[in-house]
Amino acid sequence: MRHPLKYAVLGLLSALAVSSVIAAAQEPQNQNQPRKADEETGGPAPVHDLNGTWLGPGEPSLNNRVPAMTAEGQAKLKLNIPDPFSATSNDPWKTCDPFGMPRIVNNEIREIGFATMPDRIIILENYAKVWREVWTDGRPLPKNVGHKGGPSTMYFGYSVGHWEGDNTLVVDTVGMDDKTWVDRRGYPHSIDAHVIERYTRVDHNHMSMTETIDDPAYYTAPFVIAKADYRWIKGQDDPKVAVPFSNEYMCIPSEAIEYMKLVGTPADEDSATGEGSKVKK
Amino acid sequence: MKTKPVTLLALAIGLLALGAPLFAHHGSAAYENAKEVVLKNATVTKVNWGNPHTLVLFDVKDDKGNVVHWVAEAGAASAVSTTGWTKSAVQPGDVITVYLYQAKNGQPIGRASKVVLADGTTFGAGYLEGDRPSQCDKDFGPGGDEATACRPDGRKTTNKE
Repeated sequence: MRHPLKYAVLGLLSALAVSSVIAAAQEPQNQNQPRKADEETGGPAPVHDLNGTWLGPGEPSLNNRVPAMTAEGQAKLKLNIPDPFSATSNDPWKTCDPFGMPRIVNNEIREIGFATMPDRIIILENYAKVWREVWTDGRPLPKNVGHKGGPSTMYFGYSVGHWEGDNTLVVDTVGMDDKTWVDRRGYPHSIDAHVIERYTRVDHNHMSMTETIDDPAYYTAPFVIAKADYRWIKGQDDPKVAVPFSNEYMCIPSEAIEYMKLVGTPADEDSATGEGSKVKK
Repeated sequence: MKTKPVTLLALAIGLLALGAPLFAHHGSAAYENAKEVVLKNATVTKVNWGNPHTLVLFDVKDDKGNVVHWVAEAGAASAVSTTGWTKSAVQPGDVITVYLYQAKNGQPIGRASKVVLADGTTFGAGYLEGDRPSQCDKDFGPGGDEATACRPDGRKTTNKE
């Protein structure tokens, strides 16, 4: 019975894409205005239901009190040079390589979508235009990922989810490729990292997220990577709302390369030597 | 060209946005932020509408009459759209005025604060929520541009300095 499932996925993705467009049309100004403190709650949160599209903060709050790193972790950190638009950076973002997990959850998070299926929840990450499958049918996470005899690591890892109480979705992810960064600052993670996302629907219109990592190979203690608040995009469930435009804020390889050629690299060159500036420590 | 209320609103948002840090969602090259340069009679040669930043390529004659090929970067397409700028609004051949902050190394490259068309229509560089410098002194700080500095090794990218 794989085919009906495939159509269900396609249907959900299409529905989400359309609602996303509607949302963008409905409240484009929201992206440019801070949230109002007295913003309406929209009533209580429905039970076990995050379905729909949510407007994020752009960038989350990142933890500045990252625990001490192991020697191996410190060595890896030194290799990662952040800032995708500096000439000397090696940020995967520079060429629009996948953020992967756990970075997809905490970098360029202007919009996120959820679609529930009988056996999984689909998380739609708007900036990267990718979706993640979070299995909720009770299957276990794979073991020994990336090690001899185990399955391969993946950019987005392997995810399972469960509900805590009525309104908190907990997503557990393992098996993430260590090419990906933890966040835009270049923190590394090992292939044995375990990431936990918690999405709590506070009321109908608000959802809060925390992302935690446990990676003993690189960090001496688990820590919260990032926190973010999302709000429900109004009008997405109203079929009478017109659809004038979609907001395509995304990383496009050819445009990123052209940008670096025309602006990023020449403006970052040392005028005396003609070389890209060196990263100071 | 009549000015529509929507245009005025967009312009107002754009002007407000100018007071905010521009493109702080990721790094920008080192620009002379304190000195705005005004380039009049700029002939547009190409517009790269898109990401990460919309680029306007244009020619301007310098004091000696030599044509200089400039590149000005504004916000992403979705960001400049908030100031009323659309993909077809600025085209090759248009003669415009560009307000920008030039690269510190003297290259004819700049970060645009606004562009003004011949009929006076003005577009800002654009701004999206979340474009804000991060605060490393807090336990949790916004993860904007300067997040690169919030590392235990204090690493910064030199193009910020």
